[in-house]
Amino acid sequence: MAEQHAHAHAHHHGEKHTHISRGTYYRVFAALMVLMVLTVAAWWVEKNLLEIPGWLAVTIAMSIAIAKTVLIVLYFMHVKISSRMTQVYAAGAFVWLIILFVITMGDYVARGWPPQAGPLP
Amino acid sequence: MATITHEEAHAHTHGPELQHQFETPEQQKEAATLGMWAFLVTEIMLFGGIFMAYIAYRWAFPEAWEESAALLNTPLATVNTVVLLVSSLTVALAVNAAEEGRKRRLITMLVLTIVLGVTFLVIKGYEYSEKFAHCAGAKDPISWITGSDLHESHECLVPGRGFMFPDEHGSTSGGHGAAKTATQSGHQLFFLLYFSATGLHAIHMIIGLGVMTTILVMALRDRFSPTYFTPVEIGGLYWHLIDIIWVFLFPLFYLV
Repeated sequence: MAEQHAHAHAHHHGEKHTHISRGTYYRVFAALMVLMVLTVAAWWVEKNLLEIPGWLAVTIAMSIAIAKTVLIVLYFMHVKISSRMTQVYAAGAFVWLIILFVITMGDYVARGWPPQAGPLP
Repeated sequence: MATITHEEAHAHTHGPELQHQFETPEQQKEAATLGMWAFLVTEIMLFGGIFMAYIAYRWAFPEAWEESAALLNTPLATVNTVVLLVSSLTVALAVNAAEEGRKRRLITMLVLTIVLGVTFLVIKGYEYSEKFAHCAGAKDPISWITGSDLHESHECLVPGRGFMFPDEHGSTSGGHGAAKTATQSGHQLFFLLYFSATGLHAIHMIIGLGVMTTILVMALRDRFSPTYFTPVEIGGLYWHLIDIIWVFLFPLFYLV
């Protein structure tokens, strides 16, 4: 039992903090709200003020969404203070997603996507 | 037991919730968290399929995407985004309260989360009913329910046989039949993906509300302590994932 206790003790006071303070949660939330306003503002500007290419608009919107996701995953979902194994799982989800998107779209584009309008509707 | 200090007692004593196959509460919590993440990865891949279809068809029909997105209710969706982000904060604070053993605060945060979740679904439900009301020829959901002010519908954005995308140019006849059908299918694909993605998301919200209600009942029955609050933690993980899905759905469908 003594060994187990020592192990648990070491784990508890390991290199990582096992606690995120409430202040951090409020700051992360404030950052999320700012990013939310930014993404809507970028969309409004692009619709009403200046014409920007579609790919740039998508890149801006997706960059903001990814930034929000990183904040939520690291702080709200505690991945920042989780074990290395959990971090690998969390990162793995996004790696698989990128494999899905890149290989599928690579195949589509290599075969000529979008297709030419054929004789049938 | 009497000789150990208070701090050690805090760190090492455990209640009946420690299952026999685990050596320490920390190990049990670690296993539960990892298991939840494994499940969340499959959830991300489930939504990933819809996002994949979205990418392929937006690539093919960029104009149809832009025209269709203009017909969605962006102000309501913006309100919903705020509602979900606030609910993510209340969940994070609920986990924090459970960690610190503050029962009253935990219950407050869980109730707030449930209220915000229901608010999201009510707003989403209104958005859906707007689209269905248009198919029935009503101006808005209220006149659809009361049956007043019904006329021939000029817009039906629910995919299916009745799908009708409003024509801005006014002319429907002429030799552009094939071209029109092609864009119509682009518009219909947008709304098919819109209803599939937001519908699947709404189903997850309903399940999330069930999870939160269960955790609330457990909290009311004093099932949690600073050494055991795993259900709050992993239930919170699920809720945050639903929030992340919406973080992507919002710009992809409403801000095209």
